[in-house]
Amino acid sequence: MSEKIKLLIVDDEVQFLNALAQRLEIRGFHVTKATNGAEALQAARSDRFDLALLDLKMPGLDGKEVLQLLKKEHKHLEVIILTGHGSLDSAVECTKLGAFGYLPKPYELENLIKVLKEAYEERLKKKFQLDQGKMEEIMKIATGDSPLGIMRRLRELDDDIK
Amino acid sequence: MDSSPRAHVYPDPILHNERYYQQLQRRNLLRLVLTYLLPMVVLTVYFAIQYRQILDVSARAHLTAIAENQANTLDLFLRERVVNLSNLIDNPKLELPPSPAVMQSLLATLQQNSETFVDVGFFDSDGIQTQYAGPYPQLEKRDYGSQPWWLALRRKQDSFIITDIYLGFREKPHFTIAVSRTLNGRYVVLRATIDPERFLEYITRLEHPSDVYTSIVNASGDYQVVTPQLGNVLSRSPILPPRTPKSDAGVLKTERGKIYYAYTWLRTCDWALIVQSTSEVGTGFGGPSFIRLFGFSAVVILAIFVIIVMRARKIVSEVREADKTRAELSDNLLHASKLAAVGEMASGIAHEINNPLAVISEEVGLIQDALNPAFGLGKSIEDLKPSLDHIQEAVFRCRDITRKLLSFVRRSEMNLQTYDIHQVIDDVLQGFYMHEIAVSNVEIVRQFAPVAAPVVVDKNQLEQVFLNLINNAIDAIRGRGRITIATSVDHGRVRVDVSDTGIGMTQEQLDRIFVPFFTTKEVGKGTGLGLSISYGIIKSLGGDISVTSTYGVGSTFTIHLPLAASPAGTQEPPAGAAGAGRG
Repeated sequence: MSEKIKLLIVDDEVQFLNALAQRLEIRGFHVTKATNGAEALQAARSDRFDLALLDLKMPGLDGKEVLQLLKKEHKHLEVIILTGHGSLDSAVECTKLGAFGYLPKPYELENLIKVLKEAYEERLKKKFQLDQGKMEEIMKIATGDSPLGIMRRLRELDDDIK
Repeated sequence: MDSSPRAHVYPDPILHNERYYQQLQRRNLLRLVLTYLLPMVVLTVYFAIQYRQILDVSARAHLTAIAENQANTLDLFLRERVVNLSNLIDNPKLELPPSPAVMQSLLATLQQNSETFVDVGFFDSDGIQTQYAGPYPQLEKRDYGSQPWWLALRRKQDSFIITDIYLGFREKPHFTIAVSRTLNGRYVVLRATIDPERFLEYITRLEHPSDVYTSIVNASGDYQVVTPQLGNVLSRSPILPPRTPKSDAGVLKTERGKIYYAYTWLRTCDWALIVQSTSEVGTGFGGPSFIRLFGFSAVVILAIFVIIVMRARKIVSEVREADKTRAELSDNLLHASKLAAVGEMASGIAHEINNPLAVISEEVGLIQDALNPAFGLGKSIEDLKPSLDHIQEAVFRCRDITRKLLSFVRRSEMNLQTYDIHQVIDDVLQGFYMHEIAVSNVEIVRQFAPVAAPVVVDKNQLEQVFLNLINNAIDAIRGRGRITIATSVDHGRVRVDVSDTGIGMTQEQLDRIFVPFFTTKEVGKGTGLGLSISYGIIKSLGGDISVTSTYGVGSTFTIHLPLAASPAGTQEPPAGAAGAGRG
């Protein structure tokens, strides 16, 4: 994919947000910033993001709530939790709520990028599986045949062309 | 539901001053003295009084016994003398009137019977001493017819008489024994006189202890026989025995004290024998036995007193030691609870520090990226300046937090100064909860009274209390809620209510909420010491703390503190204590 990964970062610490966004942009991410949960949800609705980086402690909507809402509205959006509150319980809970990963602050940028890439892979895989499923659906509807039948027909088509 | 803390064991950091211990010692001493010495003294006095009574009774009994004894002997003596005379006059061989020679032999016989006989005389019925033998021959032929004794003898039914002492014709004190008979139809009398000095000699040879005087008085109280130390014969005795009872003891008061005496009326004649002690007895408690008693008691009382003083002093010093140990323990406990409180806030504090660290990390990364030729960003030194500023700011944030932590945790002497309580609360909120207020779903509402509320407190300790209450409130809320801190000033007291919309407490929890180590949090969370330490702190600052709660709705902790007389000082709190937190 030559497209840039579209990333949504949500954190109420503005300085941190700006710095991180700058660094990620240098490394080829397309970054959108949000400073609270409401902003984040609105941004997610108006644009398609591949990944989201989410802080837990924010004013207004709590990070966990934002996580749940994002996952509900955008099934394929992978969310990575990034927080100064390190706790095992919290990590487990967020994973159960659908987070892809959980990173404590401060972190090594390389680690963060690795996790982002892994998340993106996951997203691609899911998307591919989705696309594949869609394809199968279309074929079924078109031919009313099983996948094996379709394959035979395609080979026959190929042979015909040859 | 509400609960006021009932009797609990809580640390009481106030050390009593020296005056308190002195007062304690004095009170203790007084108590012990009253308990032990007072009964001793009372008993001693009681025994002294009893003893005096016993002495009195025994003296009287002693003298009475002597008196009766001597009286018996005297009666016997006098009777014998009467018998002596009677024998003579009853002798049938006696020729009447007796011749001078016979008289001499009669006298000889009498004097053989007793040395006290002086002379003997024979009287006819008219009272004339017709015959006489003795040292006063001039008395012969004298007419005794109108002498009182003669007349008394004639009147008497008994045939003998013993007269009182009188001078008589011989002008010397003497007394007579006379017997009368009617012989051959004639009334005759035989009389002998007794020498009182001899008589006294006889008496003094009677067995009696050397500490008594014996004297004999007649019915009028005139001395008949008396030792020269006491007085003269025929002078009035100071002791006048009553007719009844027949024998008794009494006390004669003199200038120097009192003299015990006992008397008995003789049977043979109308005399009373008086026995009296030779020395005065002091009225009151002067005698040697009393001195011994009081001396002994005094020694014992003194010994007990010394022991009591030593004991009281020891007890007070033990109390002082115990107080010191307790103060040390409570100090340690206070410190431990501080650490525990800090521990409880650890996750919050970590977050407070992690965020600035993340900022630093990112800014440093930015600079590194800028310097990395691979990225080819073409940034100038000027472009990097903001990052450096951000890093500096973040460092300060961290420093403030750690400094606040350290100052809180540092052991400090209790340092009482005047602060406005609103300032203290704000310092706590800004210092520890700055970020919390911003990010969490717990809303903190300040409803401060519009007046200044100065209190005299140790700022560190009061901060700890508020930290504890706010921490508890946050924990009770567990998610979304509100903490309201309201202050008011009323009747010389400042009141602070810390209310939360948390889970509240049941009555059982309320009853025990201030008990050390009691906690409503799950195992591993919290020490259960926070509220009990807070209770102790508020109490030692002269205030009160109580709580009301409704399960499922929320709780309110109420602190009362005495209003300071003077307004909050402008003194800086001790170095290292928090200024307002930054960030």
